[in-house]
Amino acid sequence: MKEVVYLSELEKIARLSKLGFSAEELQSFLRDINDIVAHFEKLNQLDLQDVSPTSHLGGGEPPFFSDEPQAWEGSEEVLKGAPWVAGGYFIVPRIVDKEEKENEDRRI
Amino acid sequence: MSDFTTTIGLEVHCQLLTQAKMFCRCSTDYIGKEPNTLVCPVCLGLPGSLPVLNQKVVELALRAALALHCQILPQTLFHRKNYFYPDLPKGYQISQYNLPIGIDGFLEFYSQGVRKKARIRRIHIEEDAGKLVHEGAFLPPGTSGVDCNRCGIPLVEIVTEPDLSSPEEARDCLMMLRNIVCYLEVSDGNMEEGSLRCDANISLSSSSLTGVKVEVKNMNSFRSVYRALSYEVERQRKLLEEGKPVFQETRHWDEIKGVTVSARGKEEAEDYRYFPDPDLLPFSLKTEMIEEIKSGLLELPLEKEERFMTQYELSQGEAEILVQDREIADFFEDTLRNFNKPRMVCNWIVTEVFRNLKELGTTISRAKITPSHLAELLKMVDRKEISGTMAKSVLEEMFTSGARAREIVTRRGMALINDEKELENIVKEVIEKNPQSVADYLSGKEKALQFLIGQVMKETRGQADPELTRNILIKVLSSEE
Amino acid sequence: MKIEEFKDFTIQDYHHLLEEKKISPLELVNIFLERIEEGEDKIHAFLFVNEEKAKNEAREKTDNWPEELPPLWGLPVAIKDNICTQGMPTTCGSKMLENFVSPYDATVVERLKAAGAIILGKTNMDEFAMGSSTENSTFGPTHNPLDLRRTPGGSSGGSAASVCALEAPCALGSDTGGSVRQPAAFCGVVGLRPTYGRVPRYGVVGLASSLDQAGPITRKVEDAITILEVISGKDSRDSTCAPYPPFSRNEIPSLEDIRKIKVGVPREYFSSRVEKVIGEKIQEALGKLKGEGVELVEVSLPHTDYALEAYYIVASAEASSNLARYDGVMYGLRVEGEDLQDMYFETRTLGFGKEVKRRIILGTYSLSSGHYDEYYLKSMKVRTLVRKDFEEALKQCNLLITPTTPSFPFFLGEETQDLYERYTDDIFTIPSALAGLPSLSLNCGYEGGLPVGLQIIGGPFEEGKLLGLALWLEKLLALPSPFPELKEGRGQ
Repeated sequence: MKEVVYLSELEKIARLSKLGFSAEELQSFLRDINDIVAHFEKLNQLDLQDVSPTSHLGGGEPPFFSDEPQAWEGSEEVLKGAPWVAGGYFIVPRIVDKEEKENEDRRI
Repeated sequence: MSDFTTTIGLEVHCQLLTQAKMFCRCSTDYIGKEPNTLVCPVCLGLPGSLPVLNQKVVELALRAALALHCQILPQTLFHRKNYFYPDLPKGYQISQYNLPIGIDGFLEFYSQGVRKKARIRRIHIEEDAGKLVHEGAFLPPGTSGVDCNRCGIPLVEIVTEPDLSSPEEARDCLMMLRNIVCYLEVSDGNMEEGSLRCDANISLSSSSLTGVKVEVKNMNSFRSVYRALSYEVERQRKLLEEGKPVFQETRHWDEIKGVTVSARGKEEAEDYRYFPDPDLLPFSLKTEMIEEIKSGLLELPLEKEERFMTQYELSQGEAEILVQDREIADFFEDTLRNFNKPRMVCNWIVTEVFRNLKELGTTISRAKITPSHLAELLKMVDRKEISGTMAKSVLEEMFTSGARAREIVTRRGMALINDEKELENIVKEVIEKNPQSVADYLSGKEKALQFLIGQVMKETRGQADPELTRNILIKVLSSEE
Repeated sequence: MKIEEFKDFTIQDYHHLLEEKKISPLELVNIFLERIEEGEDKIHAFLFVNEEKAKNEAREKTDNWPEELPPLWGLPVAIKDNICTQGMPTTCGSKMLENFVSPYDATVVERLKAAGAIILGKTNMDEFAMGSSTENSTFGPTHNPLDLRRTPGGSSGGSAASVCALEAPCALGSDTGGSVRQPAAFCGVVGLRPTYGRVPRYGVVGLASSLDQAGPITRKVEDAITILEVISGKDSRDSTCAPYPPFSRNEIPSLEDIRKIKVGVPREYFSSRVEKVIGEKIQEALGKLKGEGVELVEVSLPHTDYALEAYYIVASAEASSNLARYDGVMYGLRVEGEDLQDMYFETRTLGFGKEVKRRIILGTYSLSSGHYDEYYLKSMKVRTLVRKDFEEALKQCNLLITPTTPSFPFFLGEETQDLYERYTDDIFTIPSALAGLPSLSLNCGYEGGLPVGLQIIGGPFEEGKLLGLALWLEKLLALPSPFPELKEGRGQ
């Protein structure tokens, strides 16, 4: 079956990505993404049942850090370059409404 | 009124006791530090930075997983959990998803004297987020502040199956879990400071009704876990009895008002788009490593409790109190090495030692008293060199000055008066001074004897041998008749 | 000395001059700064020229000339603008990072500096390395020094153009699906994508973490070897970097052994998609090898046709997550909004260009619930098949030779065909990137003044063989290094 991406779905994806689009842009993106998705159909010709996915390249055991703290000297520089800092904190618009509150609790 | 069955499952987050963060070398010692000082390109999520796993994180998580009898998967992997929030610098949290470090374990604990078991569904490793502040003079109006010092502190999340059937059980299970992670030095288990956090799922069902899961959050102490869940049981019971529906939702515990409040679900469920973190290669947990950690596992609270019961013939209650804190349990056993009377040592620890610790607001490891010093004191009591009352006062000084019992007793000129003649003279004096009490005793009021013994003690500044005093008093009083 | 005298210089040649004190680092830097001054209004290879600091650094070096010179001592190097350089802008060609100054050096930059190199500046690129023309740069495109009307390729177009125009003796680029090799091919220079894990990614701003690899863009194969020796090797800050020592030229087999190498020619890379002349030039080069007695075998990489689709899903999925950090909170662009959500939307909507948004949307879609299995998982499986294709093919031969691109550099501003058509420009560079294999593009001839790139692909960590063959082939082809006159619109 041919996959089709609908406008409502694209709008949801845009919200998840925190990207805003004009109606016109949405239409153009909808065409693009459907174009790509249509080309993707080609992969259905392949039998992928028993193929394991490659999520990473490189084998062997990855390196670990040993548990020894090391201070970094650049934090002030980061704060200096930040869009808005007060009292050493990065400042964001106040987080108040319930949705935000819930989001905060969802964290971890 | 129908019978409801309560079903509770817990989700517990513990900060791991590492020196450095999970994926970078920043210090984890963030409490009380200036904001955004324990940070680096990695935990700030600066462009181009990459995570490298701290070896200790795996060790500690494995320790917890093994102590909870979990099955360890041969290969594990980190996933990214994607969502936007200001305390999450990268826009995703590095967590584990379908390949957690441990699955299918269990936890045993006592609740109201009965041994219980809760199955552990999974235990996984993830990174902590930063802290948001909403109050403070430095904050411009209408803003919140972000502090990244906590970003990237390692956590384990432990998820139980819904095997708990009451708020008491939930609390007791959590306490045991806390004891275990503290015992293993996996976490400091401090709920107040947030190094241990607990959420719960709770539902009520009956033969005719299937339960609806409600998630309860924001419980910051064992007491609030108990209170919040008790409140939820009652709230849901009432709804069900009135024939009203219980909604599947998240509710927050309000500690001050003593109620749970609905957190109003979002219209659109969050879609976290989990996928394997391409910056971190999968890694295997080698059998040798697992065996090494297993063999290095210290005795767990419940094992210790049972050993104390058999080895020292303590009651379950006594043993349970002693093992609550590993340092206390160690202190108890270290004291026994020099003075092998378990019951007596236990009694002194759970009463006098605890009282002194509480008054001084300290812990046994920070206190000035040592197990051998306590043993020395108790030996003196046991040999009747000093009375229990004297010993209590000596112990107090030992706690404050750190001096040894013998030294204090000698300095204060304390010695038990066990010379019969001397005591008889004092007794006679006391009897003379307290005719009313004597009369009371003679008319059958046993309490008056206690008073008179007390007066003798007062005269002797507590140095009279209590048993001898009692005997002499009875003897002299009977001759008064 | 004059810039044109450096036309055929290798890094070793500069090194000898410096060793013999025939030129000072300061003179050298000044010569390149002058060349930049001369060429930049036409080429626009640089987003930032590190004029002052480079001069200071060169002066410092000139005043403290050591006995023994480290391999890159005093050598100016251009760096693609998605590679972090402390105290310098690192914009990734994006409005989002227009004002971002990196507080740290990427490992590769640290290593270049430790080897004595002087950072000349930061080069233009497609925004967040998404594109193959530099037209997706927020700061305007780079022009191909060989024909200013045309694209230099991308995304490392600035690096390739700067090396081609000799505004820099060598440069670093980054390659996710061809971003080093394709612009090298378009600019007639050498571009090496090392084996995935050969070169540390720490500080190379991530587009697609499982594909990204930094690599040298140079005028000679010899220089790619020198740079690789400096930047490769394990890094305790990159989990995906292989725990091997740095590459050494000792790994390159002797010419005698190189002659015995069996070269595979994958038939899928010579389809009708390839412009005829390009196919012919590659065949000519193959003919030269054959004439020298090299055995050629035809091989097949049957899943080549599926690689492009799988690549765009994998790369977009990873990018959608890697680019989530650009939210206006801690660095980069921020557009204030009424509330937090508003700020997120305003910042990201304004900060990212169209192609970046398109890929974020595609990536987010392919990871979102209900689509993961159909898109992301399936693509990772195709990636396995593509890898296995190469494994099989490399059992029948030692190295593969293909065209780098199916076509010549297109005109800037050319009405973009079908979006999907544009993506197919990367069709020959994508498969080996998916498989993580070392691949190099080398100029193998000109047609109407435009270069043709020949790609050599090797087995994992077999850069030795690959560079050995490249060195020899470069010698056999004996093509002049580019030294464009920088006139507007060739042939006009």
